Amino acid sequence: MTNMGKGKPFLEVLASAFHEDYRFPFLELFAFFYILGTFVLSNFTGSLTSASITTDEAVAYSIASSFISGSLIVFIFLIFKNIAYGLGNELEKGIIQTYFSYPLKRRAILTAKLLSAIGVALLLFIGIQISALYILAPDVVLPQLNIVIITYIANLSYPLLITAIMLLITLKLRRGGIGLIVGIILYFAISIVALIAFFVAVTSESPLFLQILSVISPTYALQYHYGGGLSGISTSLLVPWAPTLSEVLLYVGASYAIVASLFALGYIYFSRRLNL
Amino acid sequence: MSLIVAEGISKRYGKVVAVDNLNLSLKAGSVVGLIGPNGAGKTTTIKMILGLLKPDKGVVKVFGQNPWDNPSIRSMIGVVYEKAFFPAHQKMVDYLQRVCRIFGVPESRAMEVLRAVNLDDVSDRQIKALSAGMLQKFAIAHALVHSPKLIVADEMTANLDPQARSELLELVLRLHKDENVAFLLSSHILPELSMVCDSVAIINRGKVWAFGKLTELYEKYAIGIIRVTTDRASKLGAEIKKLSYVKEVASDIRGVSVRVADGKEDDFYEDVPRLARKVKAKILGIETGSASLQELYRMAVSAEEGK
Repeated sequence: MTNMGKGKPFLEVLASAFHEDYRFPFLELFAFFYILGTFVLSNFTGSLTSASITTDEAVAYSIASSFISGSLIVFIFLIFKNIAYGLGNELEKGIIQTYFSYPLKRRAILTAKLLSAIGVALLLFIGIQISALYILAPDVVLPQLNIVIITYIANLSYPLLITAIMLLITLKLRRGGIGLIVGIILYFAISIVALIAFFVAVTSESPLFLQILSVISPTYALQYHYGGGLSGISTSLLVPWAPTLSEVLLYVGASYAIVASLFALGYIYFSRRLNL
Repeated sequence: MSLIVAEGISKRYGKVVAVDNLNLSLKAGSVVGLIGPNGAGKTTTIKMILGLLKPDKGVVKVFGQNPWDNPSIRSMIGVVYEKAFFPAHQKMVDYLQRVCRIFGVPESRAMEVLRAVNLDDVSDRQIKALSAGMLQKFAIAHALVHSPKLIVADEMTANLDPQARSELLELVLRLHKDENVAFLLSSHILPELSMVCDSVAIINRGKVWAFGKLTELYEKYAIGIIRVTTDRASKLGAEIKKLSYVKEVASDIRGVSVRVADGKEDDFYEDVPRLARKVKAKILGIETGSASLQELYRMAVSAEEGK
């Protein structure tokens, strides 16, 4: 019997993009090493969290943030690979042109590519993180689920910001190399900027730079909220800034507004301006 | 009915004007060739027609719609790019079946089109493992999947061996004759175009220099062409150009194509040996009659340049 094609063009392009972005054994290895790393990290960070943090909220935050730090690098690597190498390569070589021969709107093509590049990595990352936290520390995670979620959302904001900037550069230049370099620089630059902002805040006794930094990366607002501003070291005595949780949420909202604006810019550029 | 209408379209890349106030139309069921040298603006024109590039000025309509923001018209267009790229890690047949699902045609069509380009024996091969010629054939199969009414092809026969070229041209003729498929073909290989095209657009420096049915263009630019085959074509061509009754001259590596004023043919036959002696050129042959598409192209460019 003849098999009539009834697939939706968008889903077929998405499936094709998945096929290119994710091939065995990358994801499986990623998951394996991540879980292995989570166990190692949990042993390493156990003493640190118990030494300086007392409230349940703070303990939940500390565990979630220590679990996230190592695996975030893998997550970012995956996204960088898919945007700079994947999308950049497809723009440069012309696979996107091939997709443009199908009856699909431009924004649908970009959505398929972004869902493939970011969406799956994000879902996988969150899924494994939540599972790991639930397996390793269910008694801490379940009662403080809101804190754990805020920690994840705050931590993912800056990588997504870098991703959006990389996307814009990749679309503008129609190749991924420069975007990748900028992404790597931005990823490492934030730690240096955070250090500078910390010392400026200490010397000037003004939290302005930390507040600006927190708009870009709200994870710092969360750290200062729990008094662990610099790499988990208690800074509440040194820095005159301890935002409330509501303020932290405002910083998270502001940072995601920036991320959303940059992605919207990418969509507008791709839909209205991108010449192939 | 016109499937493609381009009116006064222009496109710049920085300071370079790639296409300048270009007009072009293609009627249903016709086969139009775009001919011109490298950098003439053929690919840019095709990209604007396909909605990949937005014209800086002018209007493009394909099936009566602006191709930039009407993707639905792509269901009626098959596209073959000069350099074909597809997702590399998929098998040919799997990817074409996916394309069948995109266009809502039976998946069995994938093997049909692979058979049409003689790739059915290797349909399980991954796209990344294809040679340049096979990839080009695959691109042609990909363009045929949804039985389009219009096929736009930029250098379709690039990377193909002579046998595959000949088969492909037969396929074009068959699709045109049996299914009334219209074609817009750009190619450097002019003899091929002359085999399949009923009209040509001669593009040079971003403009259409001449456009019309082949018969009309031959009548306008190439009737009464005299072809002088020689070993020193450029020098002899330069001398011939000085003759007052010569209307157009176009030289290539093997000879000179000349159009002279009516009634001056005999004068030309008398003058050529003298000019050849002057520049120490050996005349290998002189013939009058029908010109090739290549000669038509040269004569048209020469005529329009002289205006």
